[in-house]
Amino acid sequence: MKTKLILFCIWGFCISCSNTQEELEYRPTPMEVTIPENFPNLVYNLDHNPVTQEGFELGKKLFYDGRLSANNAIPCAFCHEQAFAFTHHGHNLSHGVNGGIGFRNSQPIQNLAFQNEFMWNGAATHLDLQPIIPLTSELEMGETLSNVVAKLNSDSDYIKRFKSAFEDGQINSENMLKALSQFMVMMVSSNSKYDKYKRKEEGVTLTPQELNGLAIFENKCSSCHATDLFTDQTYRNNGLPINPQLNDKGRFLIFENPADLYKFKVPSLRNVEKSFPYMHDGRFATLQAVLNFYDSGMVDNGNVDPIFLRANGSLGISLSNEEKEALLAFLLTLTDNEFLTDERFSEF
Amino acid sequence: MKTIQWALLLMLSITILSCNKDDNTEEDLTGQKGNLVIKFDNGVGEQDFIYGTSYDKSNGESFKLEALKYIISNIRVTDSKGNTFMYPSADNVFIVDEANANNAGEIWITLANVDAADYTSITFGIGIDQERYALGADGQGNFLTEAQEAGMLWSWATGFRFVRLDGTYSSATVTNEPLNIHMGSVGTALDNYREVTLSFPNTVKVRENKEPEIHIEADILKIFDGQTSVSFDNGYSQVHTDENTTPVIANNMKGMFEVHHVHNE
Repeated sequence: MKTKLILFCIWGFCISCSNTQEELEYRPTPMEVTIPENFPNLVYNLDHNPVTQEGFELGKKLFYDGRLSANNAIPCAFCHEQAFAFTHHGHNLSHGVNGGIGFRNSQPIQNLAFQNEFMWNGAATHLDLQPIIPLTSELEMGETLSNVVAKLNSDSDYIKRFKSAFEDGQINSENMLKALSQFMVMMVSSNSKYDKYKRKEEGVTLTPQELNGLAIFENKCSSCHATDLFTDQTYRNNGLPINPQLNDKGRFLIFENPADLYKFKVPSLRNVEKSFPYMHDGRFATLQAVLNFYDSGMVDNGNVDPIFLRANGSLGISLSNEEKEALLAFLLTLTDNEFLTDERFSEF
Repeated sequence: MKTIQWALLLMLSITILSCNKDDNTEEDLTGQKGNLVIKFDNGVGEQDFIYGTSYDKSNGESFKLEALKYIISNIRVTDSKGNTFMYPSADNVFIVDEANANNAGEIWITLANVDAADYTSITFGIGIDQERYALGADGQGNFLTEAQEAGMLWSWATGFRFVRLDGTYSSATVTNEPLNIHMGSVGTALDNYREVTLSFPNTVKVRENKEPEIHIEADILKIFDGQTSVSFDNGYSQVHTDENTTPVIANNMKGMFEVHHVHNE
């Protein structure tokens, strides 16, 4: 009996040795998610997916890897280029694996951990699951989760990386999506001139013209472009003339509620200087064109948000040329060059 | 280190178990676990479900299906003393797919390591509840992949199709028009998760050496002719995330399940 116990203990000891060796592989370095002082609270629940250096780096590799698409050539970054606030530079609509053209303008990837819903009409209701939409869309990456997982499983570098980033070390959809979320959660843009002015950092001041623009903005724009995320995260119909070729009904497509016709999510204005073209279909090439539209281009498409109703019954936000110039000056203070050139998010 | 503790624990428990053997006069189920099989058997009214067969609805419309599947989750069973055993959450989500049925038309779900007890009722959810959805990718393992392969994930939005009925329907005015019932929830805005509780006709005895079977009949007709009778011609031939039609389908599905019988072996 005694011998058996001793043998048992020796056997146990050997096992614990091999366990320790395995544990060596999974020793992730935690990464802190800093919430900027002038931001609202995080929406993303980090308890379910704590960010680690290894997970973040894996997410970045996935973000820049064309193998997530059917023809191995269209990575996420194809439509989300860093220098343009992770939008598709200059494209109103983007093309995907089969030469198909998408329906909407690609949106910036920044400060997503502070948002409840994603996509122009809120079709994505969890950040982890959002990548499934472009990944499987035939117009975009045209892949399936099982195919992508199989491709990653045949790559020794990914096998290593998943092992060091996740406790179970599995290459599966759960861990792949978690890694992508970790990368996106870290993509916080909060160091524009405006932010530094707001937080009274580095003695940054705004010019009289920019301050004037800020005052106009607060008076005429900030009820929708609210908080320092510059969106109240609601869906609104802003009176764009309907493009009959696309006839994109926006949020209506989800709940089929007539009250949602032509509603789109109020976009953030961070890095708006770089995220052109504008609107859900990228119809405006410049900010000047956007301001002109709000001043004099809105049409009654049947469901325009009442916030745009002027006292005389017409639709729009009246802006004089001086006001437009001041607004433009202010909007340029939202450009965050630290974010746009941050090497942590760069491919190379 | 861990292993030594386990080894000692194991040896200790073996000792305790062998000591206990003598005074085992009445059935002590403490620590005993067994398997429990749940068989889903899809039918339409009084008939078995068969792909491509035309079935009539109460309003004269008829339908044929090529795909029939739904998500079942959060299965738990309650015993005669009122104790509830919840199957471990991470594994407690299943796609019941007619395509996986055996020759008798049954889709089997086997729950392992269920606490031994005399169970009197079962509760389960249809679809994915808010709590599970809020976990995002966490705890999903490969279920997202599995769901996508089964066509139970939306592609144009995030989230799960709780049910998937694909086929055609005919009415007084149309013949063989597409029929697609893909009801699901949309984030927190539209919650179509529903739960059902069914009593067993006799107790289900889960034991280490017994594998009882619960035979559940699912009447697909009730999805259309249930609590509310719906008309394909009138907005119910395409049901996806519409905030008016999806809850009607979800509520109808609550009434489609019935425990036909149980086997204790």
